[in-house]
Amino acid sequence: MANRIVCDIPLNRAEGDLEIKVAIDDGHVVDAWSVGTMFRGFEQILVGRGAFDGLVVTPRICGICSTTHLMAAAQALDAVAKVRPPGNAIRLRNLALMAETVQSDVRQSVLMFLVDFANPAYASYRFHAEVVKRYAPLAGERCIDVIKATKYMLEIVSLIGGQWPHSSYMVPGGVAYPVNGPDIVSCRHILRNFRLWYEKNVLGCPLETWNALASVSDLDAWLADKAHRESDVAFLLRLSKETGLDGLGRGSERFLSYGSLDLPDDTMLRSCDGGTQLIPSGLYEKGRVQLFNPNLILEHVDHSWYADEPEPLHPSHGMTEPYASGSEGKKYSWSKAPRYDGLPAETGPLAERLIAGDPLFTDLISRRGNNLVTRQLARLTRPAITIPAMETWLSEILEHSGSPCYTPVDESQLEGEGAGLIQAARGALGHWVRIENGRISHYQIITPTAWNGSPRDGEGRRGPWEEALIGTPVKDPDNPVEVGHVVRSYDPCLVCTVHRVGRSGAVLQL
Amino acid sequence: MGVSLYWFQCGGCGGDTMSFLNAEEPDLIQLIDALKIDLLWHPSLSNISAKQHFAFQDDIINGVRPLDILVVEGSLIRGPTRTGMFDVQRGRPKKDLVAAMARRARFVVAVGTCASFGGFGSDTYVQSTGLQFHKREPGGLLGADFLASSGLPVINLSGCPCHPGVISGALSALVEGVKMPLDEFNRPLAWYGMLIHQGCTRNEYHEYRVEETDFGQKGCLFFHKGCHGPLVTGPCNKLLWNRRSSKTRAGVPCFGCTSPDFPQDYPFFQTRNIEGVPVALPQGINRANYLVYKTMAAAAAPERLKSRKTDI
Repeated sequence: MANRIVCDIPLNRAEGDLEIKVAIDDGHVVDAWSVGTMFRGFEQILVGRGAFDGLVVTPRICGICSTTHLMAAAQALDAVAKVRPPGNAIRLRNLALMAETVQSDVRQSVLMFLVDFANPAYASYRFHAEVVKRYAPLAGERCIDVIKATKYMLEIVSLIGGQWPHSSYMVPGGVAYPVNGPDIVSCRHILRNFRLWYEKNVLGCPLETWNALASVSDLDAWLADKAHRESDVAFLLRLSKETGLDGLGRGSERFLSYGSLDLPDDTMLRSCDGGTQLIPSGLYEKGRVQLFNPNLILEHVDHSWYADEPEPLHPSHGMTEPYASGSEGKKYSWSKAPRYDGLPAETGPLAERLIAGDPLFTDLISRRGNNLVTRQLARLTRPAITIPAMETWLSEILEHSGSPCYTPVDESQLEGEGAGLIQAARGALGHWVRIENGRISHYQIITPTAWNGSPRDGEGRRGPWEEALIGTPVKDPDNPVEVGHVVRSYDPCLVCTVHRVGRSGAVLQL
Repeated sequence: MGVSLYWFQCGGCGGDTMSFLNAEEPDLIQLIDALKIDLLWHPSLSNISAKQHFAFQDDIINGVRPLDILVVEGSLIRGPTRTGMFDVQRGRPKKDLVAAMARRARFVVAVGTCASFGGFGSDTYVQSTGLQFHKREPGGLLGADFLASSGLPVINLSGCPCHPGVISGALSALVEGVKMPLDEFNRPLAWYGMLIHQGCTRNEYHEYRVEETDFGQKGCLFFHKGCHGPLVTGPCNKLLWNRRSSKTRAGVPCFGCTSPDFPQDYPFFQTRNIEGVPVALPQGINRANYLVYKTMAAAAAPERLKSRKTDI
């Protein structure tokens, strides 16, 4: 072990920073620890507050995905009130969430992931000058363009809910106020402009052309077509191949989706599994999809800075008692370790595509195994399936114009338990709430980053990106760009790890 | 030499940065270009190595590298028990790093309510506080007497999140040397000198006391739904959000997120009432006079408002 070094790597350009501790042996990662270093105590802030207050407090957990927390909070309260919102309310909620997700997919892919190829570590590669011109932070042509285009997409959220980020227009029973016809037409203009921009610059082809790719050989043929070579998708694929990243970041090959985007009763859109949601739930493992059972979610705290519990708890009765002294160094993160049916699971856009039976991504995983490029490709191209569904729902809102958008729910009469389980931009997000006497008596949140960036569990099993780092080559421990690629391919959102991951720091420890 | 700017995130959600990305005329890139900002570090945008970042940070703290503007986003976390160890960088409490850099900066700007006043966690064992205020009390992390080397106190740009136009407007004024009169909480009056209520399209419903009792209606949200529009100041209905709208226009009560008290300790979607009159009344108003005025106004309300014919 003469060449073994241990480094603490602060990782920025995550939403919130993160510290990754890796042990490197002969230039390769042999062990990894994902360290969350900030605690904000949001779950405790909620206890004792008004029954609806999760709608205001939880969006403030995260600046890039506040709508997803709002959706989970509203659905948890729908469940407590045992109410199903009217069709147009479901459409408006879904549209806002989808607009935010599209924004997040493109911003993260370009501003946080592709930017890494402009790193000086790649100065000797022949693509470097071109990549700096495209992706240098705040100066690259594509970065400037993405900042501009994504902010217009967010105007859809503003037209529905007043502002982005941090509004509270989803309320139990529906939305706070209906959106008038001319504003829906404005949303269609915004979406149309975004589609044209996305097709021209990000995808390099019409959405329909991309969505027709059904195999690895289709993808290779698409990439070989010169017409596509200037798109961000083509750059992601080409750069990854040239730098040898396409075999890295395997991680766990167990994929989880809670399911998301409820289908209104009278919609033209259909779920691919015949279910009630556009994005199906399930667990994908070894080429098979199993039914999702929310009771199989447990959270471990053995390696997290919380008071030990006799056994892992389901979030409906989970605890958040900070215990920072750590038991002899065993505890190392403010994130808990969620496990599904006892094992870690990866969540995010790739999980959604596999569980939905997407032929291209199923073929990619079966032929090439899980890796960081496929994970990032699933995110960068998710708008190709999201945008057409948004177009359909905008049209349906106009067809049903004047129909109700709210079923009254009396906050003072609310009592009981509920859960809001959805797919956020980064994957499976759950809110579990209990209301007693009109007040919140229990609130637990498990975020996608808690799944993907979890520390070890009670059995000592690593979380998904800890596992994905094993075997990663690190050429320069002072500039470990490879570690960044692996972790950023999960789209880490550290402010979101409620209990609460964040920030780091850290100098190299040799 | 450009204007050096270092953006530090502490106990927050990153929402002010996300809000800033939505800036228009100038957008973020145009602003940096126009003001000749040398962005030493931004946690969401920079791609320099950690080693280089910490060299910048050390040089600022040691006075080797001059710093024009320190921007802080997120609260200063002091817990547990005043150690600050709930939020650390390089094993050091971030609050200590902020204090050390603030002493070297020409201007210090608190972006968002958490950095200004403590925000979420200011009443819990997380022990969050603001840069120069703890909620309404002067003090916070740096103390009531703190002045940056320009002679200005911490400029507070509150809001959860802060409006992007306020961030770019305040940075421009500082760099260009344009005077910004401040209110009692050191917020520029240009954006915090008017009530949220001003410019709300439900104003006429408020005027004649046509009250909304549940979501989905057109009336005023102040009397029953917890709206803070007539109580707190801020630019939401002046500048609008994402060029389009505001919460009150979309039927969502204002939660008073620019206020030093945010998040308040009472439920957000209910108005605290005494015999049907809100406990908290618009700034500076006499309770008895208000009661008379609103009773008369309700009686004078035109039919088109009572029957909710006027759109919002």
